[in-house]
Amino acid sequence: MSGKEFFVNRYEKLGWKYENVKLKQTIRTNTINTKEVDIIKRLKSLGIKLEKIPFLKNGYWICHSEFSVGATSEYLLGLYSIQEAAAQIPATLFTELKDKTVLDACAAPGGKTVQLADLMQNTGTIIALDVRKQRLTALSNQLERCRVKNTIAYNMDARQASQLKLRFDRILLDVPCSGNFATDRDWFNRRTIKGVEKNAKLQREILTEAANVLKDDGEIVYSTCSLEPEENELNIEWAIKNVNLQVEKISCYGEKAPTNIFGKQLDSSVENCGRIWPGQTQGFFVCKLKRRVDAL
Amino acid sequence: MKPIKDFARQFGASISLDKSLMVRKESRYFLINEKLKKLIAKDFFYAGTYLGKTKNGKFFPSFNLLSMIAEKKANKIIVDKKTAWLFVCGRDIFKQGIMHVIGSKRKGDYTLILNQYSECLGFGRILHDLDEERSGVVVRNISDVGDFLRREK
Repeated sequence: MSGKEFFVNRYEKLGWKYENVKLKQTIRTNTINTKEVDIIKRLKSLGIKLEKIPFLKNGYWICHSEFSVGATSEYLLGLYSIQEAAAQIPATLFTELKDKTVLDACAAPGGKTVQLADLMQNTGTIIALDVRKQRLTALSNQLERCRVKNTIAYNMDARQASQLKLRFDRILLDVPCSGNFATDRDWFNRRTIKGVEKNAKLQREILTEAANVLKDDGEIVYSTCSLEPEENELNIEWAIKNVNLQVEKISCYGEKAPTNIFGKQLDSSVENCGRIWPGQTQGFFVCKLKRRVDAL
Repeated sequence: MKPIKDFARQFGASISLDKSLMVRKESRYFLINEKLKKLIAKDFFYAGTYLGKTKNGKFFPSFNLLSMIAEKKANKIIVDKKTAWLFVCGRDIFKQGIMHVIGSKRKGDYTLILNQYSECLGFGRILHDLDEERSGVVVRNISDVGDFLRREK
């Protein structure tokens, strides 16, 4: 069970008609290092044409640039980061981040870690984990470039987070996933439902560990850039039933997640999750979870 | 601590860091704060502010450390826009690109290179006394922030 037709049929059953998309490059200004107005002025003076993304506080689409926006002095000085528009959403869904103890469980290459540090204004602590050491080097470079000061990174599998013997106020689970065709031209040829299910299992294991290290009044934001319900709505349904989590209402770009997946009726609260079909952004899924009140 | 102090001294700067908040991971040095200190475990990979590393007895500073030194009284050269761009591409500095010199102008001394916004782009070594009447290259590029791109290759 694979191939473009197979996956496109599934998307249609979930209510979305396939269309090919061309994504614009996106940046996010790093307000710990610069004032938004200053960096935008500087980029415009370099001839870069920008458009403010209406649903993001610090996000801009690059409409035109004669050169790579990843090679300007301003980028190298950490005044902005290159971060896809939908990928900028998860970190913004937490309520109050300043001075909190935050776990970024699958952190590399570090775009969202830097964004968290920016939202925290370098206060509190971020514990950033990644299972692959090579990817931690990329994370370290991002932290150094963006002058992040509040992060400790470990080469650790998110499923072993309890070894840290810490409990967290906020947990970002931007879990490893199957991705989507909008950012991977060869996606339909490379992916199978078996692979999707394998990822979904890993994601459930990470969710379980996150629930173990979450403070009673803590918040988890779970996100994937996958369009497959096994990695999204079905996993959240599983978390509601198995790890005492409940879905919180969020307000962000995208649409309510479907609660009927290929004939299977899910808990009605799953509609509080956000599903973003490819278009202005890549495909994305995001939701906020808290410990279920009756489990406290 | 000593390699960092010695390094800063090369720029005519004195840097004082709280020893109890400095941690070392193999050859790499980091500066943490009290909050991180309470939470940090031995096997960390990266923590707080990266300061630099030693290799074969030589200290290689991070760009965070260079920026910290740039905030102090230190040797600095402020360069124009074009020169700043060429510098981050790894090029040396021509006399005509210099806007302003703070501190040493002496041949052989180390100096930080700053852009028009006083942001530290890296450092270099003065090749010829900057008071001398001459054109051409006067500061050799030793390290610049373009390194972030070169590391990725």
